[in-house]
Parts: sequence; C-alpha cells; structure tokens
Amino acid sequence: MGLEIMDEVRRDYTYNLVRRGKREDGRDFQDYREIKVEKGIIKRAEGSARVKIGNTEVLVGVKLEPGEPFPDSPDKGVIITNAELVPLASPEFEPGPPNEDSVQLARVVDRGIRGSEAIDLSKLCIEEGEKVWIVFIDIHVLDNDGNLVDAAALGAIASLLDIHIPAERYGLSGKGEDMIPMQDKPVAVTMVDIGGEILVDPNYNEERAAVSGLTVISNTDGTLSGIQKYGREGLEEDKVSEMVDIGIEKADELRRKFL
Amino acid sequence: MKKMYKVVIPGDFISEDVNRAGEGTYIEEGKVYAMRYGVVDDKDEIKVVPFVGKYQPAKGDVVIGRITEISFPYWIVDIASPYEARLHMSEVTSGGKKRVEFGSMHTYLDIDDLIVAKVTNTDALMRIDLGLMEDFQLGGGGRLITIPHTKVPRIIGRKGSMIRMLKEKCNCFIFVAKNGRIWIKGKEEDMNLASEVILMIAHEAHTSGLTDRVADFLNSYHRIGDTGRG
Amino acid sequence: MKEEGIELIKDGKRLDGRGFDELRPIKIEVGVLKRADGSCYFELGDNKVIAAVYGPREMHPRHAQDAKMAVLKYRYNMAPFSVDERKRPGPDRRSVEISKVSREALEPVIIKEFYPKTEIDVYVEILQSDAGTRTAGINAASIALADAGIPMKDLVSSVAVGKIDGEVVLDLNAVEDNYGEADMPIAMIARRNTITALQMDGRMTKDEFEKGLKLAMNACQQIYELQRTALIERYSEM
Repeated sequence: MGLEIMDEVRRDYTYNLVRRGKREDGRDFQDYREIKVEKGIIKRAEGSARVKIGNTEVLVGVKLEPGEPFPDSPDKGVIITNAELVPLASPEFEPGPPNEDSVQLARVVDRGIRGSEAIDLSKLCIEEGEKVWIVFIDIHVLDNDGNLVDAAALGAIASLLDIHIPAERYGLSGKGEDMIPMQDKPVAVTMVDIGGEILVDPNYNEERAAVSGLTVISNTDGTLSGIQKYGREGLEEDKVSEMVDIGIEKADELRRKFL
Repeated sequence: MKKMYKVVIPGDFISEDVNRAGEGTYIEEGKVYAMRYGVVDDKDEIKVVPFVGKYQPAKGDVVIGRITEISFPYWIVDIASPYEARLHMSEVTSGGKKRVEFGSMHTYLDIDDLIVAKVTNTDALMRIDLGLMEDFQLGGGGRLITIPHTKVPRIIGRKGSMIRMLKEKCNCFIFVAKNGRIWIKGKEEDMNLASEVILMIAHEAHTSGLTDRVADFLNSYHRIGDTGRG
Repeated sequence: MKEEGIELIKDGKRLDGRGFDELRPIKIEVGVLKRADGSCYFELGDNKVIAAVYGPREMHPRHAQDAKMAVLKYRYNMAPFSVDERKRPGPDRRSVEISKVSREALEPVIIKEFYPKTEIDVYVEILQSDAGTRTAGINAASIALADAGIPMKDLVSSVAVGKIDGEVVLDLNAVEDNYGEADMPIAMIARRNTITALQMDGRMTKDEFEKGLKLAMNACQQIYELQRTALIERYSEM
C-alpha cells in the first residue's frame, strides 16, 4: 500500500514538472543522462560491457560456443539473447523464471541486432549443416533506474565489437575468423510520452509517469532495424513519426560517442 | 418482420445532446458515444442497454444469492456479480435476539442454499452487504433460471405488464431478482412453459412488439396431449 | 528467420495474386462459445484464431488486485498443430511477448474503472497459423470484449505491413514473412487514428516506415468496418 501511494505522488510530481518544461534532474527533454561504457570487464566472457546510463546499470556478457545451426539456415551462426532482471536490481524484481518484461527486453535488443545484420552470421559457420558458432548475449540488469533497453542494447554492441572467437578452446584453431565479423552498429533510443511531451531516456519515475513509450533502433546509415511501442495508452501517428526522427538522430550521437 | 431497436457497438456516435447522456454512454468533445454493445434507449435519458454484462450491485436491489462459503460471522454469497457479497449472521436471528454459535451457522444456512436478499450497503472497496428478506423463502420444488441481468426489465415489462401475463398464463409463482436470477415454482409442465417463455424474452429482448408475440405464443401453447414440443 | 532465395513479386503481383495494398479474405463469427462471456472466431487468409473473454471476475490472488480498476490479462497461445513443425505446448518467449504487446494494444479502450478489484481475461488460441496471427488475435479479442459487455471506448483493429523484394506491402502471409525484409504489426483505434501497438522487425528506411504506417492505417479502417458489421449483424438476424 505504501509503495502505491508513494508511486502516485511521484507520478504527479514528475508530470507536473514536465508540464512546466522541466525534468527532475534538470535535463532537456531530448538529453540522455550521463553514459559510461566499460568494455572487457568479465574475463570469462568472450566479450562484455558494463553500461551506466545515469543510475541504471546493466552488465552484458557475450559467450560463444559451437553448436548446431537452425535447420533452415545451415551455414549461418545463431544469436541467442536473454535478459535477467535479477532481484537485487529493484524492489520490484522477483526471483523466478523470466517474466514478460525480461522477455520483451531481450527480444527487442535481439531484434535490433538481427534486423541490422550487425553480426555477419554467414561468417560464423564452422561446418555447414553441422556446426556453427552460437553467440549468447546475456543481459544482466544490476540497477533499474529506467530505460533498461537502451543500456542493454548499447552494452550488447559494445561487447560484440571486441570479441575474439575462442577457436582454440574448442580445438578449432585455424578455421574461420578471429574476431566476430560486425557489419553495423545498431543503437536503441527509447522515448516516452508524458502529457504530450516527448522525453528521451526516461528514468524510473518518468517511466512510471508516462502513459506510453517507443524504442527506435537504427543503424549507421539511418535505416531502422527495430521499433517497439510500450504502454497502456495509444500514440498519435505524428507523434510516432516525430519519435522515429528523434530516435535516428540520437542514435547517431550515441554511436559516435560510445561505439 | 421484427423491428429492431438501434444496435450500437462501443465507440458509435449517438447524439450531441450531452445533457441527456445516461448509462452505457460516455461523453467526449460535446458528443455522446456508446460505451457498450447493446441497444439504444432514448426515451428519457440516452442509454445503451447492453446485451450482456455482469451485474453491479446497488443499494436497495433485491437479489437471489447462493451461499458459497461460511466464514464466521458471515456467509459469503454469490450474487452473479464479479463481487462476492456477505450476509452477517445476525440476519438470521430476528432482530439479533438469539446468538448464532460458532460452528452452527450451517444449521441456519448451508453451502449451496439459495436466499432472497436485499443489498443493504456497498462501499468503495466493493464490499457488499446483504440483508435477508425473511418474509421470503425459496423452498424446494422450484427452479432457478439465470438470464443476463440486463434483460430483467423486459421480463418485468412496462408497469409490470409482461410479468403479470407470464404468471397468469403459466400458472406459476415467478420471482424475478435484479441480478438476473429468476425463481419459478409450479407444476412441472407449467414450469417448462414458463422457462421457455422467459428464455425467449431474454433472447429477443432487443426487438419491439415482443409483448404481443409472447401473448400469442402463450395463447397458442397446447398443454394436454402435447406431442413433439421441447 | 529471414531466408534468401525466392521471388516474392512477379509482374507487379504477389505470389498469391494480391496487390500490394490488399488484405487477405476475412471471416468473422461473433459469440461462438457457450461458456465464455464473450467470444469471436476470426479468419485472416489461412489464419484461424478464436478469442474468448471471461470477466470481469473477482481477481486472485487478492494481493494482486487493483483497488481502483479492473486488471486486463491477455494470453496468446498457439495450438501444437497450428504450424508446420509441431509447436510444443505451453508458453514460449515469443508468446509471452505477443501477449504483453497485445494486452497493451487493447488497454487504451477498456474502461477499467468500472470494475475495481476484478480481472478481465482474454484468451486467444491460434488454431492455424499463416503469419499475422497476433493481428488476427487482437481483432478477434476486440470483438470478444465487446461481445462480453465490457465497457469500452471503441474497438481496436490490427494488421501487419512488411517489405518484400524492396516493396512495402500489406498483410504478409507466411512465405512473404519468411523471405521478406521487414515485418511491422500495428494495432490502432481506427476512428481516432491512435496507434496502440507497433513493432518493427527487419530493416526499413524511414520513408518505407512512413509508407507502411499509412498503408496499415487505411487497412485498419477496412478491418474496423468488418468488425462492426459482424457485431451489428449478430443481433439483426432474427
């Protein structure tokens, strides 16, 4: 009960601030919080990155293993993306099997990578029809202060840009590539609608105060490789268009600074 | 050819007369829209009478309930609504003169018993209190029919005209509760007729000329030596 | 899985003969289930789905109740025989995501304040799948909700657009979805031009996205008319 009331009070506060043209932390509506990306911090993973956006913290680890290809693409590597909203990251996260939020998070990040063909899967073939490299992208959320998607997506690409394929470990040295072959750097930009205003990179309170949101994933050449709408209310068509434009613009900024 | 009342779906525009907007409608930007799938009744207020819907208890309603649980000092009662109702044990002890002992509530009313009760109170937390109508017992040998509560007004008819006709022609005791539950009691074949007519009215509630059609049906119904009916 | 290799557009027509902005045939039946409070059977091309609504009914567990409004729940489920390669029964990650997105597509029209502390359950079963099942599900669910007497502001209509052989087209079938370049399911309140669900999978330019959005919005108007007709006619045949 207490949490609910506090929630409502905070929601009203956030909403009222926005109506006066302000955000809690003083940012402009289209600004990101401070972003920090640290690569290669988990030795056991082939690639890893710790991303902080404001207080939100996400750790992404990428591991590679040989495995069977999908029957309809026998000469292509496989991407498997998973997200864990572990209980220590937020009073609302509970232990247990993946809930709809963690499933959605993983699938949206995965979509962006797949849609952009960021990883050249055809170069991850070991033996056609028998063995390919499976790329496990595991997103571990450590602190939820809003906008997990952008942090996770950034972490995923940052991890992937720096991976050496562990051929020796599996007795496969000399076969194929050394580095994961990356062809693009998709970036996710999430925005919410609060009282008709578009806010980029919502923090936790802003996410709760918002009635709907949109994640736009775009590539180096400005094409889109993923879009996902959230929330319990609708969005007008022109607002969606505006968000897509902002998404492409901000993705460019983030890509230049961090990838 | 049966004439229809106007059928609407949620979101249909009905009228610009916002002052008359009633149940089943919502107002947006000076216009009245349908909020439910049903028929428009714009005789006084502009209402949409839904074809089906869950019964929402209101203070003063008389309902037929079924005991589902005994939870001292209350009986929990199912009143065909998304919300359970409760009947306090003092309701069975005329004016609370006698005390109902813990563990003996079932001797007064047991699980699955039917009661006729009045909704005495509802609150914002959707707690619903019932008061037993003691002058009314649902004894054995009767039948309970359930129809969508939205059709109850049609069973009653304008100024009770329909229900009066049913009671007379079917020769049955018929009690229609607000929550769509109907208790009938009479001879087996009379109850069969009453059931059939009630379900027919419920099925055709949104058409006009229904009273006449029901009257015709009842008048032409053969009782002695029935063959091939039902 | 996007695969290469087949020509999806020949002489300006799609493999099944449709134009770029043509919907597959739709068939709608309202109130097909006896036990459910509201129901709808919906066909979109070779997709066959059935939606049922139970509620509002008391919500359990009690601690999950919302004191002020009803809670909407949506479960999208594929029958094991609905696809070529048998699908193992039970929710998989795709179904979980679709259920969430579909629920959010319908929430904006449901007037939840009417029934505090209750839940409204929407169950969508995919009996036969040919791409576009989630859109068929949302269309059917909308009708089933109205059929159940749930207080709503309007209906929600849904369709997918996609990109095949470089062209933006409406309502992909399974072959087009498998070999195409992008897939974008959309749901909207047709009368208000408000988008309640939007996903894009694949690769598209901003212009292609805008084109697809317009195509989808027009199609949703058409679908809305069919939904409305089905509901009105249900009580007009006597």
